[in-house]
Amino acid sequence: MEHFHGLKAMLNQIYSTIRSAAGITIVLSIIIAILATIDKGTYIIVNTIVTGGMWALMAMGLALLFGVMNVANFAHGEFFMVGALTAYFIMDPLIKYAAVHPHALLVAFAPLIAVFGAIVTGSLLGVVCETTVFRPLRRRSREQWVMNVFILSLGVSVILTNGHQLLFGTAYKGIVKYLNLPAVSIFQTFISADRIFVFLLGIIAMSGFWAFMRFTRSGRAIRAVSQDEAGALMVGIDLNRIQILTLAVSCALASLAGACLLFMFPAYPTMGMAPLYNSWFVVIVVGMGNVGAAVIGGFIVALFQVLTTVYIGEGWGFVVPSALIILILVIKPSGIFGSPVRGVLEQ
Amino acid sequence: MKLLLDVKNIDVGYGFLQVLWKVSIAIDAGEYVCLVGPNGAGKTTTLKAIMGLLAPQKGDILFKGEPIAGLTGNKVCQKGIGYISEGANLFTGMTVRENLLMGAYTVNDRRKVKESLDFVFNLFPRLKEREKQLAGTMSGGERKMLAIARGMMAVPSLLLVDEPSLGLAPIITNDVFNALDVLRKKGVTLLLVEQNVVKALKVTDRGYILEKGKIVLQEKSQDLAKNDYVKKVFLGV
Repeated sequence: MEHFHGLKAMLNQIYSTIRSAAGITIVLSIIIAILATIDKGTYIIVNTIVTGGMWALMAMGLALLFGVMNVANFAHGEFFMVGALTAYFIMDPLIKYAAVHPHALLVAFAPLIAVFGAIVTGSLLGVVCETTVFRPLRRRSREQWVMNVFILSLGVSVILTNGHQLLFGTAYKGIVKYLNLPAVSIFQTFISADRIFVFLLGIIAMSGFWAFMRFTRSGRAIRAVSQDEAGALMVGIDLNRIQILTLAVSCALASLAGACLLFMFPAYPTMGMAPLYNSWFVVIVVGMGNVGAAVIGGFIVALFQVLTTVYIGEGWGFVVPSALIILILVIKPSGIFGSPVRGVLEQ
Repeated sequence: MKLLLDVKNIDVGYGFLQVLWKVSIAIDAGEYVCLVGPNGAGKTTTLKAIMGLLAPQKGDILFKGEPIAGLTGNKVCQKGIGYISEGANLFTGMTVRENLLMGAYTVNDRRKVKESLDFVFNLFPRLKEREKQLAGTMSGGERKMLAIARGMMAVPSLLLVDEPSLGLAPIITNDVFNALDVLRKKGVTLLLVEQNVVKALKVTDRGYILEKGKIVLQEKSQDLAKNDYVKKVFLGV
């Protein structure tokens, strides 16, 4: 009898979750994705999952930064660009090397080296940003914080974009593919090895991030700071250290996404604009500072972009998400998944 | 003998608004001291200044002989001072258990953390019941209990307690003060800020009266309870 009650309670819980705005959105999205796939082909689902995973990573980084430090980072797309650029500069010579020495060990690990290099570069750059831009602002004045930090991050964006152009020129820097492996056939669809590689990396990154935030001392400290700064101080958490760590993680996520998608999107100075808008779409739609929902939001926004490109046209790629945002902000400004109990990972 | 806490003539303010004038408090290890006064007198400000959440504009604060004025809150916590704030400052998105574990953030010994956890759950069985509940969904009284429990986790040398009984039912208030007594027996020094002057003077050794940012009286608690001024202003006698 008890088991039955437990089951009933669980089903009730699931039912009420589904009925909420968040649940409806998720269910609707899955249905639409399936319908479109049946209509146009499996590449819809594949592209949604691959790019969605990357937008999820970027949105997680953005949401983390906003949730923990109230930093509205408009240079987030530039860290995507830095990741892509770094990956290019590691992969390009390695690919040329691979043409001469196809069986060298270095060649087998090249993609991972590229991605790792991108992550390291991104985080270091993020730390530099924190110490040279955000920390001095914090010391100076807390007034109009969000606005000020937003303007400063725009400045960072300009510096990074033009820095790229100055140092490396405006040419498109791309690679043909990461892995010299044949496409894999799943359910009668051919999925390139690169897409699978990126998908797996995305899963590992998301799980790793979740585990870090949930189980490590530093992760818990970051969550604590996002929930109550004074409380965090009172239990002995070093705010400065957490702020640096948060910037590093946030930018690492963006750079990881940029490096992963290098095989789809070549690097050039202003490439960060689209990823920037996409991650902001996700964050606004799901609710600012809600990292957990940013994951789901990443896939939803990717789905709508793929659908718009396929059904309406390439140029309309931004119109649908923008319209969505207007709709959401009018109907439910706190976002579809809005955070009732304030916290970065929770809910 | 060296004082545990020596607050020397501090001036504290928020921007251009000065709140404390030449406040001095001296506490020996093992004492139970209260700081009472009317609303707005500056009691919380005093505790915040000691804890490092505010920096004094003038004066010094010495803890175990070391100057701590101007240090950030986390450094003061690491030195061995705990603060249980009026607003609890709980981590609302974390469970009761996680909040308590965060309370022991500065403690490296896992065994000690487990001991503290057991101690705290023994003292507050209600918290053990709600171990997996999110702190943000608890009632006011439970939050207070959790705040006090969290402040105890790191077993500080000096514990600053801000209005522990505010908003609590009398039964729970008793539990809270009993818990503080148990802490005392463990060797923790307590500085208590309380609105309930009668209760505060009954349990503490010494008391300071703070009015409009200045210390106007400091005596043994039992003498304060008999003091005419105190009786008139606070006890309505």
